[in-house]
This record gives sequence, C-alpha cells and structure tokens, in this order.
Amino acid sequence: MSDVLNNNKNDVDNQLAEDKVKVGEDDEINSYGDKHYTTTTTPTTPTKPTKSPTKSISAKKKVKAQAAYTKSSGRVVYTGSRTLYTAGRPPWYDSQGQLKKPFVIGICGGSASGKTTASRKIIEALDVPWVSLLSMDSFYKVLNKEQHEQAARNEYNFDHPDAFDFKLLIATLKRLKEGKIVKVPVYNFNTHGREPADKTIYGANVVIFEGIMIFYSKELLNLMDMKIFIDTDSDVRLARRLKRDISDRGRDLGGVLHQYNKFVKPAFEHYIEPTMSVADIIVPRGGENDVAINLIVMHVHTQLQNRGFKLRSKLANAACNGEPTPSSLYVLEQTSQIKGLHTFIRNKDTARDEFIFYSQRLMRLLFEYAMSMIPFKSVRIETPQNVPYEGKRLTNIKICGVSILRAGETMEPALCAVCKNIQIGKILIQTNLDTGEPELHYLRLPKDIKEQYVMLLDATVATGAAAIMAIRVLLDHDVKEDHITLCSLLMAESGVHSVAYAFPKVKIVTTAVDKEVNEKFHILPGIEIFFRFP
Amino acid sequence: MDEGEFNGRVRKLKITDNIKELQTVLRDKTTSRSDFIFYADRLIRLLVEEGLNQLPYRECSIVTPTGHSYNGLRYQKGNCGVSIMRSGEAMEQGLRDCCRSIRIGKILIQSDEETHKAKVVYAKLPPDISQRKVLLMYPIMSTGNTVAQAIKVLREHKVNEDNVILLNLFCTPQAAKNVIAESPGITILTSEIHPVAPNHFGQKYFGTE
Repeated sequence: MSDVLNNNKNDVDNQLAEDKVKVGEDDEINSYGDKHYTTTTTPTTPTKPTKSPTKSISAKKKVKAQAAYTKSSGRVVYTGSRTLYTAGRPPWYDSQGQLKKPFVIGICGGSASGKTTASRKIIEALDVPWVSLLSMDSFYKVLNKEQHEQAARNEYNFDHPDAFDFKLLIATLKRLKEGKIVKVPVYNFNTHGREPADKTIYGANVVIFEGIMIFYSKELLNLMDMKIFIDTDSDVRLARRLKRDISDRGRDLGGVLHQYNKFVKPAFEHYIEPTMSVADIIVPRGGENDVAINLIVMHVHTQLQNRGFKLRSKLANAACNGEPTPSSLYVLEQTSQIKGLHTFIRNKDTARDEFIFYSQRLMRLLFEYAMSMIPFKSVRIETPQNVPYEGKRLTNIKICGVSILRAGETMEPALCAVCKNIQIGKILIQTNLDTGEPELHYLRLPKDIKEQYVMLLDATVATGAAAIMAIRVLLDHDVKEDHITLCSLLMAESGVHSVAYAFPKVKIVTTAVDKEVNEKFHILPGIEIFFRFP
Repeated sequence: MDEGEFNGRVRKLKITDNIKELQTVLRDKTTSRSDFIFYADRLIRLLVEEGLNQLPYRECSIVTPTGHSYNGLRYQKGNCGVSIMRSGEAMEQGLRDCCRSIRIGKILIQSDEETHKAKVVYAKLPPDISQRKVLLMYPIMSTGNTVAQAIKVLREHKVNEDNVILLNLFCTPQAAKNVIAESPGITILTSEIHPVAPNHFGQKYFGTE
C-alpha cells in the first residue's frame, strides 16, 4: 500500500474529470456516475472518496469500464455543462418521520483484490438512487514530521491498523447509519495530512463501505448489515500490483517487491485474512464474479423492500377525523381582510398578476405572524427623546429561510421583505409520477444552519409528504426541531395532522386550513396551484 | 385589536413580540437609517393592512380552480388615501403596495414659527372625496393639532367624519384625546399609545436630520 500513497491523487481526479467530459460528449446517460459518485445534490462534486491511484485502472481502460456501466436508465441527463437529475431520493423515513436505517454493506479484502470493482458492480446492479460510498482510505491518520520522513523513504507502514483513524471512522459511519449528513476528510497523500475542505456525504438508503481493514474493529462490524469479503488469490493480487506500479506508475520491480514483502503481505496475513471468518459472504475472484454479485444484489433488494412502503398514500389516508387541532398549528386570525385576500387568490377567474399581487400580500402577513413565534428578549433602549424605552429584540440566534422548490420559492420575496438580509436555502422535492412518492432531488442549505432558526417555506401543504421530507432533511443537518417553523399559504387538515404528528415541536404557521384532499392530492376547496407564477 | 377607551374610536394593533420589536428599533437612537426605513416600512405595512381590514365589504361566493365553491368576501370600492405632508408621505408607499390603484390626496400643514399654530399651506384631494372612505395617514402624533387641522380641511371638502380612518404609528394619550374631542366620528388606528412620541421619525425616515 505504502508505495501507492506517495502518488499524486490529483491524477485520479483529473482522470475522473476527463471521463465525465467524455461521457458528456457522447451524449450518453451515465447512470453509474449518478449513483456512484453523487449521493444527493451536488452533481459537480463527486462524493467518491479519494482513492489511492494504483487502484485506478488506466484512463483508457477506465473509460471502457465505465461505458460498460452506462445504461439509459434516464436518471441523469447531461446538457452542456449542467447535469439534470430526473429522479431523486425517495423517503428514507417512515410516515411518522422517523428514520429508516440505511442498509450498510461492508466490503473487505486485501490490497488489489478488486473491492472497488465489486462495489461498483453492486451499485450498478442495485439500480437504486441514493447510495453512498465510503472508503477507508479517507481515514488515514495525519502523519507527524518523523512519520512523514519514514513515508518518504517507503518505511512507514500504511498497512497496519494503527495507520487508520478508527475513532473518526466509527463516528462517521454511525452518523451515516442514522441518516445524518457527514463530513468525510479528504486525505492528501503528498502531505499525509487532511485537506482543509471536507467532502460532504448525505445520508443514503444504502451505504457501501470498503477498505482493507474494515472488519478489524468490532464496533465497525456491528454497524454493518452485510459483510462481504473479496477473496482474490494472492498471486493475482501481486500481479495486479506489479502491473499497476511498474507499467502505470514507473516504479522499479525491486522497490515494489520490497514493499510487498515488508508491509503488504504480512499485513494481509496478520490483520486481513483472519477477518474473513466474520464475513457473511466470501466472494472469490472479486468483481468478476457475476453470480456472487447477483446473489448479493438480490438479497439487498429483498431487505430494501422489507423496509419500504407507500408513504404519501399512507399519509393521505391517515385518519385525522375528530382529532383535536394540534397545538403546534398557528392559523392567521381570520379577519375580513384575510378572507378578502383569500377570495382573490382562490377565484379561478383571478388574473395572473392579481393572483401574484394578492398572494404576496398574504405571504407578507404570514411571515410577520410567523416571526412573532420566535423568541424575543426584553431590552431597555435609549431614545433620541432621552427617555428610556422598554422594548423587545430578537434573541441572538440567526434566522434563515429554506424554500421547498418550486412553489416555496414564490414566498421568498415576502420573507426578504420581513427579514432583512436573510439567507435562503433551497430543497427541491418532486413527486415521482409513477409511484406518487415525493423524491429529494437537490438541496443547498446555509452552512451554519444547525445554529439557526429555520423558516421552511412551502406554498401549499396537502398530504404533508414534501414538508415532512424537508423537515427530515433539516433534522439530518442537525437543525433543532423546535427551531423549525413551517410556513404555508394553505394547508389541508390531513397535512397538518401528519406533520404535527411526525414532528410535534415544529411550528406550523398558515393563513388557512382546508378540510379535504382529493385523490390527486389537491387541497379542497383549494387554491390556484402556483403554476401561475412566472 | 384592542378596543380601548374613547368608545372604540381609538383602536390599537394587536401587539406581538414581533411588533414590539419594530417599535423598539424605531425608537432606538442607535438604529441605522437603513434599518430604520426597513422596520418602519414593515410597521407601516401592518398598519395599512389593518386599516384596510376596517373597510366595508360584502359576502360573495366564488369558484376555485378545483371546481369547488368558496364563500369569501369582497371589499367595496370607493376608498382613497390622504397623506399629511411631510411625514405622512412615508406611509404612501405602504398603502400603494396594498392597493395598487388607490387615489392619494395630500395636505401640507406647517406650524407657524411664532404662534406654533398648525396652518394649512396646501391641499389637493380627489374631487369626489366626499363620497369616499378616507384613510388619513400621519405617523406620529404628539399634540394632535396637525391632524385636527387636516380633518378640518376634509370637513370643508364635505367628507363625513365617520368615513375617516386615521392610520398612525405612535400617538400620545393627549393627542388621541384632542383629536377625538374635536372629531368624535373619526376612527384612529395606531400601533402604540405612549406619553413620549418619537418625534424624530420624519427626519430620520427622509434623512434630513
């Protein structure tokens, strides 16, 4: 391993970038790139952890390999420089908003055994979005000066459990298992330190975790739902290493063999091979073993199906008859003024510009009302009249807005008119027309969101499915539940109950609550859907 | 809405912590001018919306895009705004933002430097103002003299006192008493009744301190 680490990781990145361009030029749809590299929302920043360069196949071979995985699943469409996602993440929590734990697959095996190939093939064959790949290589320890010099002389043992930061690794995997967002360090193999910028991985439905010593720690083992050991013959592995290091990296035979004999082979015999006994499945020949891969995929599918369900219809059918109004619901006082505004925006004959005008007025009143739920503190201030005045100011906590695209976006101007210089994040959730389920496609949130009060904006809430998903996303980003206010122009009673039941501490603020939702999940008597906005 | 003394003629916005903060920022002498305008506009907007809430309406039934009927209401036509220059002009935009095509008249009243008596300098009002409900705009009242003068002008234009709603941000108890004593039919809508009026409002809003 150690020889590997002195190489420049940028080579790999460049290689990846090239591959992407290539695929884009061919107008091919790269479903592999989608699922493997992009767990959520950041199409341009792959979440693939840094790989040691010797593990990558040569650029040419790689493109070929990737082409084999390319399939017109329609998940990703490249248009020039932009990547459009056509399918998002289905719910990863149950109808009460509680998390379903992701399925964690651990893939262990000796150096050059084909773990990466196997991971890729599994991801490809699984054909489910929202898969995160976590590599143990990201968790090498930061070296001190002395160790750094050792590494330069190829004398530092990277193939030893002590070379890994197991504490951080366990903490990271635990958070992923809870569906939370994690920051994965980016290891720089030149400086043997961590890059200042981390990579962000979002919680996923399936987490694939690979590395040479992932079965070494009991605690890690407990986090895995399925343990796979890739058992490739040591001669084959050595041959692969020799080929990579000599023909691709220009190293000399003596050095590579020295390394192999001194570190890689003993490490395999001491720390890796014995852990084969804890594996659920041992796959001979690695990624080329299609029968084994298919069996694994079938098992994972069964597991995922057991965890899945129809969320939205469950929400819509949730019995709410006769239940008292939840205490977390705040409806704007129904003055004649509010009723008059509603009359305009509900009327099917209202012209588009009038609709926008009156709904904006209503939204502004909504936000002024929502603001009064946020904690204020008493202050005594000095006035120009030199008479002190007892007043109120907001406590020091910042407020940000998060809009659920697209309809939530229409509420942003009104929020900006109420909160000066407010930061606004976005979450794109769309309904999958085949399944009727909401899917998360994109999110971009303010950096320090966990410290803030969040005004979550959605113009209308019918079943509450999108709102619940958005709240779940916020919670996964460590926003406190009682810091979230869901602001909506119109809500259906069932939506109110679902959201309030799932997240009792979230404040729900709206200008009106309607009784029913029809079979198309439209609120009745309802409101013009926000297609009227430009 | 608090229906206070004065036979319900003086009405106060329902004070939430949020509105209290707006008032606090406007009174704080350390507030920057940009914050001052931002918070003043917010408070004015709330006041205007509440003012419109006082206007007459009739019930009606409309059809929603889903084909269901909705029992709503519609405001009657025939309203107008009148701002008392100069500080009342700060409230014009807020009214326009709520009623795009509303007619707005103006009255300029200045205090005589020697006698301190309010004097009407200029008045331009919609011709049919006597037929309309009038939203009179003046943000700060400390004595009520200016407003009393303005109402006199309206009366000269045959406006019925009962049709006048005064939109006001801050007023002193004395000012409210004076205005009501002189024009018992008028409705005053304010956000705060406090013995000290923030008289710096107009200067700070328009930046002529």
